[in-house]
Amino acid sequence: MSKIQDTVLKRQDDNWRENEQDHKRVPAITNGFKNPGKPSVGNVKKVLETAVLVPPNSEEVRRKLAQRNKTGMWGQSGGRLEYAMYKTLLSVLLVIYACVRYAQYEYNRVKILVLNLAYSPSNTPQLIRQDVLKLQKLPRRLAAILEKKREGDVGGGVSGVLNDGSELVAWSVSAGIKHLILYDHDGHLKRNVDDFRNNVSHKLSKFYDPSNVPRFAVRVPQWNKVYFNTPGAEVGAAKKVAIEISLLSNRDGRETIIDLTRTMAELCAQNEMKLSDITMKLIDSELTQLVGHEPDLLLYFGPSLDLQGFPPWHIRLTEFYWEQDNDQVTYSVFIRGLKKFASCKMNVGK
Amino acid sequence: MAMETIARKDHAKAMENEVKQIQKQLRPGRPEPPIWWSYTSVRRYLHAQKLCVWSYFLELSWVHWVVFHTQFLLLSILQVGPVPQHVSFIMDGNRRYAKSLNKPTKSGHEAGAWTLLKMLSMCKTLGVKIVSAYAFSIENFNRPREEVDLLTSLLAEKLDEVGRRALDRKSELFGVRLRVVGERSMISKELNDRITRVERMTDGGDSMTLYVCFPYTSRNEIYHAVYDTAESCKYHGQAAEDVDVRSFTKSMFLGDNSNRCDLLIRTSGHTRLSDYMLWQVHENGVIEFTNTLWPDFGFIEFFVMLLRWSFFACLQRRELANVSLRSQAFHLFKNNLFPFKRKPVSYEDLPEAPQAVSVVLKS
Repeated sequence: MSKIQDTVLKRQDDNWRENEQDHKRVPAITNGFKNPGKPSVGNVKKVLETAVLVPPNSEEVRRKLAQRNKTGMWGQSGGRLEYAMYKTLLSVLLVIYACVRYAQYEYNRVKILVLNLAYSPSNTPQLIRQDVLKLQKLPRRLAAILEKKREGDVGGGVSGVLNDGSELVAWSVSAGIKHLILYDHDGHLKRNVDDFRNNVSHKLSKFYDPSNVPRFAVRVPQWNKVYFNTPGAEVGAAKKVAIEISLLSNRDGRETIIDLTRTMAELCAQNEMKLSDITMKLIDSELTQLVGHEPDLLLYFGPSLDLQGFPPWHIRLTEFYWEQDNDQVTYSVFIRGLKKFASCKMNVGK
Repeated sequence: MAMETIARKDHAKAMENEVKQIQKQLRPGRPEPPIWWSYTSVRRYLHAQKLCVWSYFLELSWVHWVVFHTQFLLLSILQVGPVPQHVSFIMDGNRRYAKSLNKPTKSGHEAGAWTLLKMLSMCKTLGVKIVSAYAFSIENFNRPREEVDLLTSLLAEKLDEVGRRALDRKSELFGVRLRVVGERSMISKELNDRITRVERMTDGGDSMTLYVCFPYTSRNEIYHAVYDTAESCKYHGQAAEDVDVRSFTKSMFLGDNSNRCDLLIRTSGHTRLSDYMLWQVHENGVIEFTNTLWPDFGFIEFFVMLLRWSFFACLQRRELANVSLRSQAFHLFKNNLFPFKRKPVSYEDLPEAPQAVSVVLKS
């Protein structure tokens, strides 16, 4: 079925340029542009403004309000009063929640600080390997969601994403993980793939002997391309690589499934394929070819879990790990994720 | 007004009765004394003892009255704020619950079903439009035969129950539309007919839609959408180029509601989706994981999750609106109180400027 793949890849190639502009993404509500998990006074004010002023979206309340408006003076003011009372109580509840949330936030931050002190490998692969040796099992494929922070922040902008990605690569190499999937919604990594390769090699040479940097391969499934090592040093491609890195973006998610559907529909309409040929197995194998395998563990380095459009077909049994209120790509999250994975029990349906 | 109050009171009373009935059904017996030197055994004993005492306590009518009315009030408060459209549950932990109380698996599933009913009535009071629940996965067919049969018969029983209540004007589940979605070809014809009957019975309901996912997996759902789209391209003349995310999403099991799940709750501590609602939740959906076993999942925990949701929803709505209230109010005042507008000026009307002189050519 290589024909299907070719067609889908062509489709993806056709509109990748239009995809170049950052899509305006609406993040999950618990994970906005400015960290909403930290309830500052300004945030609480904003919440209260919306809570009090925006009309309710429950139909029942609206209907009741409308009904009361019809039933004369007395009914009207009674209903309004009740409504106003509920709104006030809602604000009180939200303020209480904000206070609790603030305490939680501070607690989590302190916890993260302590953890970061406890786990700091400082570019030594031996320490990382030692940490990993205590674990019973490792994920075969590890995935991570990276986020571009604002330009002005520390570790912000595209260079921040590249740096985070290459750091993850170095840790994974040291931990002995062979496949790493890096996802970022807007595809910054794959658009700057040459920079990324340089970055990775630089980071690896900090960890290992610079004259003998571990080999790596970078795969961009959207363009069906594989790059070896740094640009200009592709020699020895045939030799075994220490790690294979796949770069994914939002394009590999829903839209790839749609492309696949279109292609199959066309082939069916032209009688080149039977309807009964479309099976779960076929779709699975096609998507594996087009996007990659399903990861076993998904790490997220934001304040609360937000999948950001990670390819939906590929998160079937994936274990998620994230540290509440964390906002940096740190080693402690990485190793704690691996620990969590080692301790969890998988029983598919049984 | 009077009618309204009576109707409301009626509604509240019906709910109260319902809850009472549920509690009676769930009432656990007195637990057997534990093995005192085993930690897990003692912990289990304490948990069972707590459940037992709590159920006796709730049977006092005034306690029950107070608890019930507080819950009702809290939900009414939340109702005036933002409310999630689609709430989904992964009901995990029934077997472990039964095991911890030293009861057969069946009673665990029973308790789980009652918890779902409780959650349903809460969602209904709150005004949630769509509720879905993961009742049975296709992978669950790998379980021992007796358990599969048990779950199937339990589903049939509970479906009839919900169907009856959805038609009963006095019940708090009145007006619920029921849908069973999933790979229906994998269940027996007899059960299929029964399900179709209940679905047809509740078709007129418009206050809330309940999707029971029975044998369901999300990959299967996507596969069906692909297949159906290809079929309609082949036989119904739909152009393949017209297929886009929106039309594709519509052809999934949940129809128009497939695009997004606002709040997905998974109990019993696993942090994975287990092939449930992948398409719905992978973009800006909120997933809540909790360590509680599903039958223990109660009002307080659910309420806190909803409150959290509504806090962040408020914040995001405000942020997306991107206009500050102050500037809005300012413009409103300015436009209404000082209706002063600058007249447009044309260039020709201006008086002649003084003569232009250059320094260089002064000599």
